[in-house]
Amino acid sequence: MSASVLINGRDHQVIEGETVAGLLERLGLGVRFALVERNGEPVERARYEEVRLEDGDRLVVARPVAGG
Amino acid sequence: MSTHEPLVIAGRPFGSRLLTGTGKYDTFETMREALGASGSEIVTVAVRRIDLDARDDDITAFLPDDVLLLPNTSGCETADEAVRTARLARAGGLPDWVKLEVIPDPRYLLPDPVETLRAAALLVEDGFTVLPYVLPDPVLQKKLEEVGCATVMPLAAPIGSGRGLKLKDAIRIMVEQAEVPLVVDAGLGSPSHAAEAMELGADAVLVNTAIAHANDPVAMARAFRLAVEAGRAAFRAGIMDEGEEAAASSPLAGAVHEP
Repeated sequence: MSASVLINGRDHQVIEGETVAGLLERLGLGVRFALVERNGEPVERARYEEVRLEDGDRLVVARPVAGG
Repeated sequence: MSTHEPLVIAGRPFGSRLLTGTGKYDTFETMREALGASGSEIVTVAVRRIDLDARDDDITAFLPDDVLLLPNTSGCETADEAVRTARLARAGGLPDWVKLEVIPDPRYLLPDPVETLRAAALLVEDGFTVLPYVLPDPVLQKKLEEVGCATVMPLAAPIGSGRGLKLKDAIRIMVEQAEVPLVVDAGLGSPSHAAEAMELGADAVLVNTAIAHANDPVAMARAFRLAVEAGRAAFRAGIMDEGEEAAASSPLAGAVHEP
């Protein structure tokens, strides 16, 4: 069963119950410091394996980039 | 005199007084080499949303393992945006140190003192080590110290302008009354600017564009390292007082042609 989530403002279909870690892996975003916010709250890295996505979730996925 | 007098921020000692940014390099390989040549132990990064359509290289793969990654809050125009960015970075595994930038003005990139102070208080309360970027304002400096900031980082001149210490007198007051390390950040265009800030008594400087945009960033990184070391050594040595008139360095009497 699929669920609809927003990732960085765009619609994505995910597998309902998929974990944050699973999503990052599937999208090829398993970078060293993938930073995840779910529904306005930051997700602790230690919980990426246990936080499960639900229909309607709003995700921001960010990372460190060059900057001063 | 010890040449290894460390810079201590929030109880943590650093051997280098040159902080560097990672922006504006042509390639990550050049950046990595320049960071090495700079000797820098604190390196800033920005935090941005991942573009799901364009997979760029991961910058952290090019950063030395032994430097402190210092996420900044660039791109934030309010305290709330800055707090959100810092919390996201920390949750994702970046350090709980943050270079706090709250900048509503895109032309001169000048920081908002009111929102910066508000964000600083919230972040310190939330357990962050906060390094705020500010205009050279000795009153604001005291307020930031009072809420528990680990450094105060006044700009020399607008970010990326390379114009050097434009508000030197204000920075001199900040040096005099600093209770936490004072880091001159932004606007330093050449090693002499960095040396000048260090001679004035700044505890450290932060440089990005002047290194990244040099013809040879690696050589320029080394030049900044040397300038920061020289400026610090000069400050510690005690710089002579200026005089209105000449004071001969050679004996006035006994010249060969005397009768």
